[in-house]
Amino acid sequence: MADELNLQRQSFLGADSETVLHRSRAAFVGLGGGGSHIAQQLAHIGLGHFLVIDPDFIEDTNLNRLVGATLEDVRLGTAKVDIAERVIKSVNPSAEVVKRLASWSEVTAELRDVDVIFACVDSLGCRSELESFARRFLIPLIDIGMDVHESNGEFSIGGQVMLSMPGKPCMRCMGLVTDDALTKEAERYGAAGGKPQVVWPNGTLASTAVGIFMKLVTPWEKQKATPLLLEYDGDLQTVTPSNKLAYLPASCKHFDSLHELGDPFWTTDALAAVE
Amino acid sequence: MRTILKLTSTLYDDLVQRLRKPHGFAAERVAFLKCRPALSATSLLLLAGGVHHVEDGDYVDDPSAGATIGRSGLRKALQTAYTEAVSMVHVHLHEHRGRPGFSRTDLRENALFVPDFWNVQPGLPHGAVVFSFDSAVGQCWIPGSSSPSGVEVAIVGSPMRCTWKVTNG
Repeated sequence: MADELNLQRQSFLGADSETVLHRSRAAFVGLGGGGSHIAQQLAHIGLGHFLVIDPDFIEDTNLNRLVGATLEDVRLGTAKVDIAERVIKSVNPSAEVVKRLASWSEVTAELRDVDVIFACVDSLGCRSELESFARRFLIPLIDIGMDVHESNGEFSIGGQVMLSMPGKPCMRCMGLVTDDALTKEAERYGAAGGKPQVVWPNGTLASTAVGIFMKLVTPWEKQKATPLLLEYDGDLQTVTPSNKLAYLPASCKHFDSLHELGDPFWTTDALAAVE
Repeated sequence: MRTILKLTSTLYDDLVQRLRKPHGFAAERVAFLKCRPALSATSLLLLAGGVHHVEDGDYVDDPSAGATIGRSGLRKALQTAYTEAVSMVHVHLHEHRGRPGFSRTDLRENALFVPDFWNVQPGLPHGAVVFSFDSAVGQCWIPGSSSPSGVEVAIVGSPMRCTWKVTNG
């Protein structure tokens, strides 16, 4: 019986692709409906190093969308990072899984080491802070989000997948994060109940995010640039490049200062700790 | 501890374009990446945010080297390190594919002038990197160490290019 992944069927990704994937590191901030999907796919693909971060334990309301979770997990109150580790290891036992039952802001030293961060978080404020962090350490961030809107008694499903690439337009450039929206979110803090979430839009968004990641690390073609923002229309079942892309600046004006890079509290004393 | 130089592909493409521009007499061009340092759990990161270009008039006509920076050019680089509080990484390009290497002259000169940046920024690491079209190697002088350590390079863009991930890196 095979005890390691056979990646023969994805050899079109390039002669070095298996090595590159094996040496690549991705962080997953949030292992709920979106992050669990992405982590599972990257386990199948042969990613070598996973940093899974989530402070939460599974609840019964998560079971409709958290990939790999079971009723037994709900009964036991299993940590979401433990479920992620189990799923990843069951596919690829040789993958390194570093799990942190914590908020991402508590594990920033480890986050600085990854090649790509997947942001699978609910709040706009968290998205914005995570993007600021990723820009500071020149880490591409792939953000996914979905929402269900009610209008005139009917519902619409929408969402987006964004590649926040250092040097390129950011969430503010794209209008996904605004001061007004952050203020409104802060005013609602604690008042909102659980947002509607279902498995299939998460799956579509997660698969799109994985496609963006693969294009970054093992591009199978180099002529077509990955759109930085893709919009999901869950009613029409489509994912299309955003119309906003036509109006974006070529570079980002929100994160363009040299002094927004690196450790703001740099001292040589810290070197001894890493040695 | 690993040392990783990270720069965006936009910055890299601009840098390479400038380094390939012919000079009146120098066989190659050089520049300095302006970096801010950070520590991760495992590595020292040098995060490049800009380029200090060496002006045409600051090269010295020296047939024994591909490019030699004159006293004025070095003084300007030191001034940039001081006023902008940045780590300086000297860069040049070998126009071929595959893993490049420092020449003996490069190694000797690196050891002489890179630690000079500690005269103006003693608390910051400084270094030197040589790029090829698809790879790079480098040296970094870390405060407190007398000898340089190796540098790996990550070009952050689409696609990502990291010297330690490919078999010929």
